[in-house]
Amino acid sequence: MMQFMTGSENAGSVTARFEPVEIGLLRLAASQLIDLLEGAETHALGTSGDPALRRLLPDAYADDPEAAAEFRRFTADDLLERKVRNARCMLATLGEEPPADIADEPNDAELPATADAAASAEAPVIIDLDADDVQSWLRTLTDLRLTLAERLEIGPDGVPARSADAAPFLNDIYDWFGMVQESLVYAIDV
Amino acid sequence: MPKTDERLDLRDAVSLDRPWITIVWDDPVNLMSYVSYVFRSYFGISALESERLMLQVHNDGKAVVASGNREAMERHVEAMHGYGLWATLAKADA
Repeated sequence: MMQFMTGSENAGSVTARFEPVEIGLLRLAASQLIDLLEGAETHALGTSGDPALRRLLPDAYADDPEAAAEFRRFTADDLLERKVRNARCMLATLGEEPPADIADEPNDAELPATADAAASAEAPVIIDLDADDVQSWLRTLTDLRLTLAERLEIGPDGVPARSADAAPFLNDIYDWFGMVQESLVYAIDV
Repeated sequence: MPKTDERLDLRDAVSLDRPWITIVWDDPVNLMSYVSYVFRSYFGISALESERLMLQVHNDGKAVVASGNREAMERHVEAMHGYGLWATLAKADA
């Protein structure tokens, strides 16, 4: 990935170049986040067995469970809906999903087309974000990192309890999302 | 031109109760640059002030980022949760 740069189009717009595999990763992560959020039962969030959901919508009152439940009753649906909307916005900015890999079904007649598809699948993708898209990306990247941090059991010191050996891929993704977000913050931080 | 002190006194007299505060807590996930950006863009404070608050969260484990009536603090907390920050509200210490 190339760093986000201030876009030339409108105020607050940014642009970055991603590898196709990175686009696929962002698309997969955003989709899974949407599944997680849409599967959440808002009335039970305070006692949800999923620490990621408890972290995404934390108690608003530290020492008053009743007030925290009341607050959640009035805000959780809205917050979840906005988080889903942000993730959907990220998906939309990532463009159309590539067609299914036709290389799975080898066919001599389609070989040239397959080669073309393979070439275009390897070309970097330019992502342009307007000011609203940027807000959705910042929030969704945060929600993704918070969720991954729970899966990696990252402690208060920032060190994952699940070692890099146990979850090498997740650790890398977590770090990479952080890099993307930092790049985005610096691009709009004028 | 009224002095700032007099205006504060008036507010204290009108507010019969202790105010409420919005607290943002340190977490090991959110980037310092992002937290600072959120404070600046949401509360409309200067880069210097948002940096100071962010560092207070980072170093002390928490920082009071706003005070006022309960409804306003609930709106701030909801907004912070929207940003993915860990925020709570409470009554200010007497």
